[in-house]
Amino acid sequence: MTFNDRIFGVLLIALAVAYGWGASQFPEPFGGSEAIGPDTFPTLLAVVLGLCSLYLIVRPDPDHAWPWSRTGVELVIAVVVLVFYAMLLEPLGFIISTTLAVGTLCWRMGAEPLRAYLVGAVAGVVVFLLFNFALDLALPLGLLSFLEVS
Amino acid sequence: METLGFLIDGFGVALAPHNLMFALMGAFLGTLIGALPGLGPANGVAILIPLAFSLGLAPETALIMLTAVYAGAMYGGRISSILLNIPGDEPAMMTCLDGYPMAQQGKAAEALAISAIASFIGSLVATVGLILLAPVLARFALTFGPAEYFALFLLAFATLGGITGKNPVKTVVAACLGLMVATVGIDSTGVQRYTFGTLELYEGIDFIIAIVGLFAISELLFFIEERAGGGKKKMVVNKLKLSWGDIRNVLPSSIRGGILGFIAGVLPGAGASLGSFIGYTLEKKVVGKKGFFGQGDPRGVAGPEAGNNGASSGALVPMLTLGVPGSGTTAVLLALLISLNITPGPLMFTQNADIVWGVIAALLIGNFLLLILNIPLVGIFVKLLSVPPMYLLPCVTMIAFVGIYSISNTTFDLYFMVAFGIAGYVLRKLEIPLVPVILGLLLGPEMEKNLSHAMDISDGDWTILWNSGLAIGLWVFAGVGLILPYIVGPILRRRMKVDAAATAGNPEGD
Repeated sequence: MTFNDRIFGVLLIALAVAYGWGASQFPEPFGGSEAIGPDTFPTLLAVVLGLCSLYLIVRPDPDHAWPWSRTGVELVIAVVVLVFYAMLLEPLGFIISTTLAVGTLCWRMGAEPLRAYLVGAVAGVVVFLLFNFALDLALPLGLLSFLEVS
Repeated sequence: METLGFLIDGFGVALAPHNLMFALMGAFLGTLIGALPGLGPANGVAILIPLAFSLGLAPETALIMLTAVYAGAMYGGRISSILLNIPGDEPAMMTCLDGYPMAQQGKAAEALAISAIASFIGSLVATVGLILLAPVLARFALTFGPAEYFALFLLAFATLGGITGKNPVKTVVAACLGLMVATVGIDSTGVQRYTFGTLELYEGIDFIIAIVGLFAISELLFFIEERAGGGKKKMVVNKLKLSWGDIRNVLPSSIRGGILGFIAGVLPGAGASLGSFIGYTLEKKVVGKKGFFGQGDPRGVAGPEAGNNGASSGALVPMLTLGVPGSGTTAVLLALLISLNITPGPLMFTQNADIVWGVIAALLIGNFLLLILNIPLVGIFVKLLSVPPMYLLPCVTMIAFVGIYSISNTTFDLYFMVAFGIAGYVLRKLEIPLVPVILGLLLGPEMEKNLSHAMDISDGDWTILWNSGLAIGLWVFAGVGLILPYIVGPILRRRMKVDAAATAGNPEGD
């Protein structure tokens, strides 16, 4: 099966065209156009990428299987966890969000749930203390801000 | 003798107590990173860069620490090769061939000690080579004009896939993607490019975020797919019985390996994997029938191990003198330089002489530190092998989050990092190498600047790009670098595989 490279090649061509078109829309720089404008280098890139993706479509490599079924779900879960981690880092504070994120990741990667969240909590507290006291970098406390010693 | 003076100044920098402390810390962390399963040197250095930043370290201190990490990771990679027959990183592959049989014969401690000594000698030889060669190359590079630089960057991309690389077209695709991301932001003439009016994109995409995302996050996703699971079984290492005779026995192999590795490291497109491969093959040839390679010959451990460490020091030569890295990890070190506002390249040797020579001196000192660390403390590093990746990788991910967050204290960067991680995973699935993407990100602005300078000089005449002998030479070299993998690649790869399969007997995938 050689679908991956073909599909990817088509996507890349679309990207190259969009990118090259984007370059042609740049306003002319102040002081008139010169031999090399802001669009020259991007246009060059678009052409090279376009040619390479044509090659990929014509002569694709054999495929690697994509993890559709269960592992695919795990991957999606992991990505969702990462996005939530980023989203909740400030509102919930570093320690709580780390406990949840690291714990969930460990658990989904095959650790026992209790131990997983314990590892998450310990890692969160240790890193928080290390950063805030030893390295003097403030990580957000969030919900736990009542613990703050000033 | 000018060099010697600089070197002495460099020692002055590297021996300053806090620099020495950070070198020691870096060496320890590096070995840790090399030894831990699922954390390669490039990955490890990438995660530590944002931390070095947010700690507000002085440029030379940050660079010294991360160079020590780099050197340490090369040491650490051998531990799992020897004990488990699983190379910690790609260059450590050849160390499996004789290291694992030695461990099976109950000589694991000896194999670890010999490989530490060989690593030390290989690095030492290569660092001396670096000291001799780098200033010469830097002086030569001063004659480069913008056109030559443009060609040189192309050469770097063309050879990055390496002679053993698979599909050069994919290297080019990867490089284009990286260069494209690098064009986002406001360019030198003040025009907004691909910012879509988003304020956060005006200054461009911070390549540190991209690098950490591409390496650390995609590694996590990859591990999930491969069912990370539990740790390896506990390893017991016998008590060390090493005589001077044993060390003297592997000395010539180590020196030969170091020299070969250094050459492989300096040359574009060769890299540490080839360095260790050549080191091993040469040892087999030189020792001939007297050796028992593949059945636990100490010289088969020393040769490739010295070669791989020699190559990693050698790879610093093009990075420091030309600003063009030859490997993933040196690309990450280049990222550090650029973000510290140091322009890499020949001028660095005059403008930032203290930093360059401080780093070189630190490399020498780091080697001694690593040797001292590695022989008595090997037990600790061995224990690390049994850390289960299912706990380790989430924690590494957290460190990546903390590091990126602490650079600017915004969560916007974190989303970007996750996005780059997903992109990295997809690219790796499609066998698109990530290192050219990163190199594109790093070199993009410089490349465009040199192109427009060259054009300004020639008044818009494109032929200036191949108008000098030097530039033509670089173009030809780049062309060869792209085509050669088609011809030599399959043969070399097959030979490396056959060697590995024939001697290891039972390769455990990976």
